[in-house]
Amino acid sequence: MKAVIVLFALPALILPVACLGYILWQGLPALNWQVFSGQGMSGFAQEHGLYGQVAGSLLLMLGATVIAAPVALALALFTRLYLKQRLQTYVTTLLHLLQGIPPIVYGLCGLILFVHLLHWGISLLAGQVILAVIILPVLVLNSLHALERIPGEQTEAACSLGLNNGQLIRRVWLPAAWPAMLTGLLLGMARALSETAPILFTATVFSGVVWPDSLFSPVTSLQTHIFYLAQEGANSQVVGVAWGAAVILIALILLFSAGALWLRRVQYRHRRMSG
Amino acid sequence: MNLNRSLPCTPMESGANKIVSAQPSLCLCNVSLQLDGHAILGEISLHMPQTGITALIGPSGAGKSTLLRCINRLHDGWQGSIELGGQSVRETDVDSLRRQIGLIAQKPAVFPCSIRDNVIFGLPNQQRKSVSDESIRQVLEQAALWREVETRLNDDADTLSVGQQQRLCLARALMLEPSFLLLDEPTSALDPRSRDMIEHSLQSIASQIPLLWVTHDLEQAKRISERVIFICDGRLIEQADASDFFSRPERMESREFLRWNVCDCD
Repeated sequence: MKAVIVLFALPALILPVACLGYILWQGLPALNWQVFSGQGMSGFAQEHGLYGQVAGSLLLMLGATVIAAPVALALALFTRLYLKQRLQTYVTTLLHLLQGIPPIVYGLCGLILFVHLLHWGISLLAGQVILAVIILPVLVLNSLHALERIPGEQTEAACSLGLNNGQLIRRVWLPAAWPAMLTGLLLGMARALSETAPILFTATVFSGVVWPDSLFSPVTSLQTHIFYLAQEGANSQVVGVAWGAAVILIALILLFSAGALWLRRVQYRHRRMSG
Repeated sequence: MNLNRSLPCTPMESGANKIVSAQPSLCLCNVSLQLDGHAILGEISLHMPQTGITALIGPSGAGKSTLLRCINRLHDGWQGSIELGGQSVRETDVDSLRRQIGLIAQKPAVFPCSIRDNVIFGLPNQQRKSVSDESIRQVLEQAALWREVETRLNDDADTLSVGQQQRLCLARALMLEPSFLLLDEPTSALDPRSRDMIEHSLQSIASQIPLLWVTHDLEQAKRISERVIFICDGRLIEQADASDFFSRPERMESREFLRWNVCDCD
């Protein structure tokens, strides 16, 4: 029995590690200051280096987070404070369903709604909003779980002392739930960094932009840059840059995921210490 | 049969009610509650005097804790009338009502901050900043906790034992100077020593404000209370002076309850 379990479990461990190893093997040699800054590079949008793509990815992610985080927090608090248990279950189910929608469908909706109907064009803002919509269910579900973990006795004790809803949130719920909420936020940021299809439709171009002039300017991003460069399979130098971009992207995602894991450990340690 | 239906809403008119009090501090009249279509409380009418301990007893699931939470409006879907000091609790701002009516729950809930901050947790912002150490000392003394925490008021409240945490919750409630205290089995999770300390504190507090004390422990009810309210299946069966209730219960349900729950409660 043990052998069968190991047989099925090993690929789950080996495949991702092998993929990561292969990306590093291919990408690390391609990474140098020249590739990053674009000095002496030309063709295939390499003249400005990967700096513009990194900036574009981070701008998209940060914008999406700034839009989604307060909305997610408000929705989670509203759900916990005002909705009956049955409605809370409906909201949670709906959020799980929204999480399952393929990102390209969101991208299509963003293309029709923001780019065409609202005339935003291919723009940073359209990409940020659509990424915000994509990460919203993750953030809300995480916030709801964080609030659910607060002992009911504490909420009842606070209400019994005459705290109103605002004081309950500020003085009991948020101090208890913020580490878990922040963990969810970091995971949501990592998710926003990893999405490609939605921003391909709504926000990014291949070249011509290093730093967007306004929210309504298009941007370049690491994700879509990899997509474009990978299509130049015959040009080994260009594909090498794509691998290098992939390493940078993975490093950024791992950074946020590691941050989330660290926060979870801090939270776990705090919970163990307090009882 | 709902005996409570026949109970009028003023104590002096009630023949079944043995409590004689000039001015009831709390008066419930035909209080009913339904949750998800199920009747949890059925037309409960009762009166509480201005001081002393009233034990609220009954089997599990009788609606005792729910009744407490109707009084301070943690449950707000009830029908009927609840008056505190002659004023309907529905007409009082819910937050100030809850500051007037303290609730001590079965499981102590301290907040993740210092002992001192826990004591003043319920005070409004301005008062929290200006509260004197003397006031904190007074309520901790009332809760019989001062001697154990006087040198470590800035320690985390989590570091206290469960019994100490429960007394801290009592001090926290007393800090708001409530005019009424609801107690939902406050000693059921405590060791005998902590239980005795809480009982002793509450008995001295009861000389100033009325206490409505839910307990499963009939020995405790007999030991601490001056009056008893017995409810079963969400209905009020009997309310009487404690000595009368335990020696000569009027209702058959009360006699049955005492017979099956206490054998040595003579």
